[in-house]
Amino acid sequence: MNHELTRREFFRKAGLAGAAACAAWAVGGCSGGAGGEPAAYRARAHPMADAWKARIGLAQGGDDPARNTRAAIEKLCGPDGLKTVIRQGDIVIVKPNIGWAQVPDMAATVDPAVVATVVRMSLEAGAKAVKVFDNTLGSGSKCYEFSGIQAAAQEAGAEVSQCAPHRFRMLSFADPRVKRLMEWPIYEDVLAADVVFINLAAAKTHNASLVSLCMKNLMGIQGGDRGKMHQEIHQNLADLNVVIRPTFNILDATRVLAQEGPGGGRRDFVVKADTVLCGTSAVTVDAWAADPANLPWKKGHHTLAAVQHIAWGAAAGLGVADPGRIEVLA
Amino acid sequence: MGKRGQHKHPLHVARIVAQLFFLGLFLFLLILTARGALATASPRLARLFLDTDPLVLAGAALAGVFSTSLLAALAVVALSLVAPRAYCGWICPLGTSMDIADRLLFRHRDRTRNVTPRLRQAKYGLLAALLVLAMFGLGVFGWFDPVCILTRSVSVALYPMADQGAKAGLVAAEQHGIGGAAQAYDWAVGNHLLVPETDLKKGGGDRGYAVGYTWAWVFAALLVAIVLAQAYQKRFWCRNLCPLGALLGLLGSASPLRPRVRRRCIACDACRQACKTGAFQPGHAPSAKEGKHRYTCLVQECLFCYACEREFCPVDAIRIGSGRPAPVRPEAQVCPGRRAFLGAAATGAVLGPALLLDQRTREKEETNPQFRPPGALRPEEDFMAACIRCGQCMKACPTNALHPSGVENGIAGLWTPTFIFNIGYCDYLCAVTRADVDAGRTGRPANLCGIVCPTGAIAQLTHADKVQWKIGTAVFDHSRCLPWARGEECLTCEEQCPLPEKAISHQTQAVANLEWLKMPQDKRNRCEELQGRLARGETLSADEQKELAALPPKTRTLALPYVLRDRCTGCGTCENVCPVDGPGGIRVERLQTREIK
Repeated sequence: MNHELTRREFFRKAGLAGAAACAAWAVGGCSGGAGGEPAAYRARAHPMADAWKARIGLAQGGDDPARNTRAAIEKLCGPDGLKTVIRQGDIVIVKPNIGWAQVPDMAATVDPAVVATVVRMSLEAGAKAVKVFDNTLGSGSKCYEFSGIQAAAQEAGAEVSQCAPHRFRMLSFADPRVKRLMEWPIYEDVLAADVVFINLAAAKTHNASLVSLCMKNLMGIQGGDRGKMHQEIHQNLADLNVVIRPTFNILDATRVLAQEGPGGGRRDFVVKADTVLCGTSAVTVDAWAADPANLPWKKGHHTLAAVQHIAWGAAAGLGVADPGRIEVLA
Repeated sequence: MGKRGQHKHPLHVARIVAQLFFLGLFLFLLILTARGALATASPRLARLFLDTDPLVLAGAALAGVFSTSLLAALAVVALSLVAPRAYCGWICPLGTSMDIADRLLFRHRDRTRNVTPRLRQAKYGLLAALLVLAMFGLGVFGWFDPVCILTRSVSVALYPMADQGAKAGLVAAEQHGIGGAAQAYDWAVGNHLLVPETDLKKGGGDRGYAVGYTWAWVFAALLVAIVLAQAYQKRFWCRNLCPLGALLGLLGSASPLRPRVRRRCIACDACRQACKTGAFQPGHAPSAKEGKHRYTCLVQECLFCYACEREFCPVDAIRIGSGRPAPVRPEAQVCPGRRAFLGAAATGAVLGPALLLDQRTREKEETNPQFRPPGALRPEEDFMAACIRCGQCMKACPTNALHPSGVENGIAGLWTPTFIFNIGYCDYLCAVTRADVDAGRTGRPANLCGIVCPTGAIAQLTHADKVQWKIGTAVFDHSRCLPWARGEECLTCEEQCPLPEKAISHQTQAVANLEWLKMPQDKRNRCEELQGRLARGETLSADEQKELAALPPKTRTLALPYVLRDRCTGCGTCENVCPVDGPGGIRVERLQTREIK
């Protein structure tokens, strides 16, 4: 062993070692890697999820979305706010609607001040990290920039990242209440064990599902070809909400996209409502908000009964679809 | 390498530094301007290498196209009048790539016997033919221009490959739990060093997110071929084929500055063998060695690399300086004579009409309509003249929508940009930033393809003009669109139409209920019987009412989408997001793009 290693020998040895490593990886590592145990939705349920199923917190008025956000959460949860569910060292996932490359005034996305407030309250409640993302419709960079959410959430202390295609995992929708969807790729952050998943929606009309509120907002954690969700969209949304039940739901109705949703693009489609509401059930929050008596939807745009995904979600036991039975803490 | 290689000429060192600097600058600008990241901040930098290319200036001028930014090429023209092909030796990033590859791959290869003086003349013929074709309104010289070649190959093939490679590595590391890999991925994507997948395919995942171009392999293979041709001769492309090199050589053929071989030359052939382009040839003057002729340098072939003066010559006979050229023997003459020039030009003059006819015939056939970028000169003939097929627009397109054409619309259209809406779409915002919106800046150019286009083949448009530019018109294919063809709900296209006044709307209509069609005939009959009795005013029993309520109705209401043609700009967003696999249920067609709004 007294000779120096020549370059040729080095390459030969390195190549052999590399091939051996690849073989070892192919035999053992592959199966233990990303494709391991089947994905499951394991986010934490709010401890009061059942008790508060028919209850929402509501804050209206003023011109301060941040204050309304805090007030709505405290109306529902009491002065402890998000401490009712977030424990010291938790990971919190906030999924705002960042779906469109529109400025906040166009009401196609959640107001950045609302996002920032939720991030701050999560950190105050002891969260170790707050992650903010959305699987946008148009260019992710543009949506994050135009909505102002990336800047606001980062300033409030959140980690903001774009969805990456390799981070979706196929989730089986095996549940007797699910009628159409069999499986769908879901963003893996949401599938982590015991995370607190906050569903943060904007109040918008929608050309196919009539309204886009908390239940519809969940489409932002889906990968795959979401255009296919539009085939029987009401049933698909009900199915999605049977399997994915966020820890907490917040609806930002600071501005309501009262017509031509969900993309908007003109200021005269937008009505200021200065409202934020929240609840542990997406169906209950949506039922209150979709009711034309409660938010300034364009006259005659829809009736609550026409929004079938809310009724079907309630029928699956996810919440309350009858506004008369909803307990509003305002 | 000569015996005197220890001490390099200071300008030789400077030349190497310059080469590395310009290649680095080229790649740096390319990565920064890919998908438009820097193009809005500094359009001139984004176009720098193409704007300073004299062949682009000459070709565009002959094609009747003028763009003030191309005047930057006059700087290179001025340089070439003094030092003809110094550009090739010092600046050209393709040349530098070749030098690097040569050093890595062929350093010890003996190529001294591969002498092909006649082949050198090919580049002049190519130049003449290409310039004649430009006069016919075909900007096809970009097929052979070295800056175009490298821009195209790197942006369309190598950069996407590097992007994929880097991502694959980071993803593998992340999936094996290597710390920091996920953060590195997010950082690189968040800062546009890697392409953010969410910018590309709407809805995405299973139909592929990656930035990539059709025919990318061809562009990679061309670059590899150019580099590997050096196995035969150093700088094979530059000596024999490069039309830009030919142009620069011609410009500077009267330059007084050149390598001069002094009387002490012993005609040992060392300089010709060592020179990158083999620019040295035996001349007429006698040499120090009895019966031999002193060598002389063909100035049109000299790259001014400054290696010869101190490194090649065993007797120190070479000096780069000014003086009258020594006469060259006719058989070593590089620049072809008038006859050959005229022959090449005549070839171009024959090819020109042939290519035009080919293109017009294929266009008439209209089976493969091409969709030009917003701002592309109209009529199509003007675009074909001004477009140099450099690939800049494809590189800058933020949604990966622009791709190099094949020969669908004629050979001359090869590598011109065309939209493939199943891959990308013409982004409504494109170059517009949030800062522009906040500051109310509406006058800035908004189409990245136009911003980076060196010749103005794609004009720069303001946002207001860009979003009204008609690329084509979307048309529903009723045999594929889900509501029309299958009676299923959809409206994805309407949802994502980016126009404030949407160009797609819908109307609800009663259509056949598929649940009804699934029922056996006896149940249908029973249902019709009960309904008939209701219609005649009879009352049904409670059981019968329950029975009827449980049966699906014969028809259901369904939202059927329509295109509002006068609003549609053919941006292709609808075609891009259509959930129908394969050709979409709505597709952009070239209907009435010119004549009617």
